[in-house]
Amino acid sequence: MNSFILPLLLLIPLIGAILSVAMSRKQEYAKYVAIICSAVTLAITLFCLYDLSNADYVYAQSSAWIDTESIKISFAVGVDGMSMLMILLTSLLVLLVSVFSSSEKDRPSTFFALIMAMEVGLLGVYMAQDYFLFYIFWEVTLIPMYFLISGWGGPRRHYAAIKFFIYTHVASLVMLIGIFALAMQASAGGALDFSFEAVKAASMAGLFSPAFQLVVFGMLFFGFAVKMPLVPFHTWLPDAHVEAPTAGSVLLAGVMLKMGSYGIIRVCLDVLPDGAHQWQTAMIVLAIIAILYGAYACIAQKDLKKMVAFSSISHMGMVLLGIAMLSGIGIQFAIFQMFAHGLITAVLFMVCGIVGHNAGTREIPLLGGLAGKMPVFAAFMMFGFLASLGLPGLVGFVAEFGIIMSFFEYLADIEVLWPIVFALASLMLTAGYYLWAMQRTLFGKETDKIDLTNVHDVSKLEGISLGVLCALIALFGILPALAMGLIENMPLVLWGVV
Amino acid sequence: MIMDYAWLIPLIPLLGFVAVGFFGKKLPEGGGYIAIGTAIIAFVISALVSYEYLTGDLFAASQPYVADIQWLAFGKYEINFGIYIDSLTCVMMLFSSFISTLIFVYSIGYMHGEGQRKRRYYAEIALFLSGMLGLILASNYLEMFIFWEIMGVCSYLLIGFWSFKHPEGDEASIKAASAAKKAFLVTRLGDVCFMTGLFVLLWSFGNLDFTTLFDPAEIAGADGTMILIGSLLLFGGVIGKSAQFPLQDWLPDAMAGPTTVSALIHAATMVKAGVYLVARSYPLFIQNADVMLLVAIIGGVTAFVAASMAMNNMNIKRVLAYSTISQLGYMIMALGAGGYLIAMEGEVEASIGYTAGVFHMVNHAFFKALLFMCAGSVIHAVGTEDMRKMGGLSKKMKITSATMLIGSLSIAGFPLLSGFWSKDLILEAAMEPSILGLPAGTIFLFLFALAAITAFMTAFYMFRMWFMTFKGQPKEASEHCHGESPRSMTVPLIILSIFAACSGFLIFLGLNNIITFSVLDHGSGVEYLVGGFGHTAGHIFESIFTNVWTYVSMALALFGILLAYLMYCKGSIDPARFNSNGESKIYKFLTARYFFPQLYDQIALKLGYGVARGVDYIDKNLVDGTVNGISNAVVGGSGSMRKMQSGYVRDYAAFIIVGVIVLVAILYVIVSWGGA
Repeated sequence: MNSFILPLLLLIPLIGAILSVAMSRKQEYAKYVAIICSAVTLAITLFCLYDLSNADYVYAQSSAWIDTESIKISFAVGVDGMSMLMILLTSLLVLLVSVFSSSEKDRPSTFFALIMAMEVGLLGVYMAQDYFLFYIFWEVTLIPMYFLISGWGGPRRHYAAIKFFIYTHVASLVMLIGIFALAMQASAGGALDFSFEAVKAASMAGLFSPAFQLVVFGMLFFGFAVKMPLVPFHTWLPDAHVEAPTAGSVLLAGVMLKMGSYGIIRVCLDVLPDGAHQWQTAMIVLAIIAILYGAYACIAQKDLKKMVAFSSISHMGMVLLGIAMLSGIGIQFAIFQMFAHGLITAVLFMVCGIVGHNAGTREIPLLGGLAGKMPVFAAFMMFGFLASLGLPGLVGFVAEFGIIMSFFEYLADIEVLWPIVFALASLMLTAGYYLWAMQRTLFGKETDKIDLTNVHDVSKLEGISLGVLCALIALFGILPALAMGLIENMPLVLWGVV
Repeated sequence: MIMDYAWLIPLIPLLGFVAVGFFGKKLPEGGGYIAIGTAIIAFVISALVSYEYLTGDLFAASQPYVADIQWLAFGKYEINFGIYIDSLTCVMMLFSSFISTLIFVYSIGYMHGEGQRKRRYYAEIALFLSGMLGLILASNYLEMFIFWEIMGVCSYLLIGFWSFKHPEGDEASIKAASAAKKAFLVTRLGDVCFMTGLFVLLWSFGNLDFTTLFDPAEIAGADGTMILIGSLLLFGGVIGKSAQFPLQDWLPDAMAGPTTVSALIHAATMVKAGVYLVARSYPLFIQNADVMLLVAIIGGVTAFVAASMAMNNMNIKRVLAYSTISQLGYMIMALGAGGYLIAMEGEVEASIGYTAGVFHMVNHAFFKALLFMCAGSVIHAVGTEDMRKMGGLSKKMKITSATMLIGSLSIAGFPLLSGFWSKDLILEAAMEPSILGLPAGTIFLFLFALAAITAFMTAFYMFRMWFMTFKGQPKEASEHCHGESPRSMTVPLIILSIFAACSGFLIFLGLNNIITFSVLDHGSGVEYLVGGFGHTAGHIFESIFTNVWTYVSMALALFGILLAYLMYCKGSIDPARFNSNGESKIYKFLTARYFFPQLYDQIALKLGYGVARGVDYIDKNLVDGTVNGISNAVVGGSGSMRKMQSGYVRDYAAFIIVGVIVLVAILYVIVSWGGA
């Protein structure tokens, strides 16, 4: 069982994608294929979680793929607590997004096939244990997203899709050079071995000099930073989100952005600890810029979805802040924040999708007083916004509390306390833009700028997707130890940096 | 042991929230009876727990009852979740759950006409009660903070209860939405301070349990500077939540919510959370005399500033809101003065300031809840909050006018009513440091003067309100009045008025021994004790009536009532003389609330929106402009690139080879450099 459970996890959504494409004659059944396959994937994920929590081992599976004298690439997959959390997030969001979007009328068989294909790529990234494999899956996620945006997006979808593709692809190429550098340095003239194991061993053996680490860390970090995205490499994100369909946005912000921060922890911190210390100050500065820049940009936005997109930049900056502390607490809570943000941002993008679809516009100045017409929608939106601004009792608070605590610890150690103000300012700004947005969309005078006569509240399936997410946001907020235990107790690799 | 089940106290209203929230639509009164039921159960358990604690060995030894479990552990830190019961907890949970029960009952009548929205209302107030009781019972600061914020959200939701489809039209909706946002953001500023205080304390102590943080040995072992910073930051939270100067301005706007909400959240319970936090954190705050001095100064200034704003306001609820801020200032000042004394003197048995502050908090909860509910009864009957449109209502609303008179007399400090006793103890506490000749004696003398003037102003504005509402000629709104409110509203008024009149006597009936804070010095080390070691009833009685300032404050209060009578009932002094027919600068300054709303708006506009516009401009033009510029340069250059697409495989191969060579060269440089 152990040896094939992870490949199985990849295989099922792949079968789903193929079946869904094959449904082109019976388009209306494609959604069932997607829902069933993603439900099975989630079930297997949950089984893994259950099984792993009762054991002191991790699943790992490796078989040679290309094995010549000069190059060694293996199909190596494995999971630890961080991977499992991301895999859980992925399989959960794919299922909920399939349920949420099940009323999709436009070419549903292709639509759901793309979502399933994306799941393959995402799961692959989070379980790959070979750099080459990691890179392949990384690129695999790009293509379905490109087609989702350009095929099902808004009016400027082609511009947004191409910008998304080229921007992130260029970053991937820089990352690829970094990966080659790692493998070449690690193999020291022998066969080029791309496995995590070999590179890690080389790192432990001290084969990476400080100067090498400085440069290669920079290249890999750039590749991951564009994905997260960090200011100033973020401009593809708001455009992509504004144009993407809801399902695309949820997966993009919910799990795809996390590939960037996952990569930094998994690759940069683990095998280039020296580089991490050299880049620490720069990372902190970048994190703070992202947090505040993102929050301020939110205040100025008129499109609700664009505001939520910028809030992702701010919250992913929080993740980097946690990572940049290079301490056990910082990294743990950064991972927790990745999970928390994944759940919360899914609610936010679904809410944006509903308001865009039901009211016909997402322009904040055109909306107003929606709570009267759409009370259930208003409740979900408020819940999502409050969760995102870090309301205690919900999952986002725990993550932010831990990250800022680790930042405080770092500052107290170097005896310079004032930069904590930046982190605190973001708490105020975040509350500010969310409450202001709620005031202008949900409350006050019922808008007369758009026709509200046919506006209806959330549909049953939308309600189920949102309800499950909100319940999980509360659950992990009340019992954060559920996720923290996973992060702490299941290490496949101890981060070299700590 | 019923104490082992004390965790049920916040849990039951929480279950009520869930039940009403999900099934309220189908229940009578939108689930109102469920909410009342949970409040009653919470009160009964609170009473049983308090009885067991106060009659038990733990209280006799001035020791708290603590039970907790681990919630989250990370690094070298540990956060627990549990309950912490001492005599302060008992007092707080008793009056909070009791008043909540009465206000919930009153709500049945007051909110009867709200239709479908009643479900939302009862769900939110049940959640609020859960938050308040959770805060009171919390065993550590983080747990307290979580409930603190849950209350904040309930306050936000309930202030904005009519933020859409307001019965009085769209303008009122817009105002309610804006007031709710303002309340949340202004208190959020305090909350962020509070949270930062948690980081400081967690870093210093390794956990946030009261048992650790209030242990003199642990405090002695921690970094003194960090305790100073931590205390100041916690007090920042108090300034936000208890509407202290300079963050007081959200509370008057919060009156946009239903009057029951104003009575419950913005008078009797939630705003007391800040006062409770100061009383609870005494062991930390007394480590630095300057912290306590600051607490006292903020309290004194708040008491004065808010009372002055109430002097010329025409809105019945706003007068009460300013009055609440002012009275909260009194409590904070008393706690600060008492703490300052301990910090300077070292050993103090039963600090007067502590007793006065907490005692006033209890009394104020009764009379201010009563006053708000009376105001609600009036508003319910006449349909306006403007006192200029009322008048002569005492004939039509006998119960309301009589109970409101009791409340007004009580808050004004009329002899023997509840407000009299606690206010007198507060004035005494404020005076004490200067009598003892402590370094900040002059400052405390000044604070005492402010407090005495505030006592006069309080009596004046309360009776100005009462006379304008119930006496004189009936104005337009009074004509619509159909008489007294329903019984579900008047019965709570009568019950509360009994407490508002008599709760002061509790200080002679055991409360003197329950709300105390003492520092005992054993030579080997100090000990902080909550409860026990109180002054005897005789001693308190004697110290009140042998103090000359008691008679001064009594005279000031009576003079205030008399002046209000002459101006607003008898009419022998024309109020217009004092404001030059509205042209007076002071009058305008007070009406403009010391220009605080403008100050807040300007800060939000400049630091928030202004910077945001700048960032947005940079984002669109500079950052994204660069990206588009690069892409244009590449696409523009593609014309020349196209010439190279000659179609010959040979050429392509050449390009690929060049590309590979460049790539390999980069890698070679990196690897050889790194390997060296």
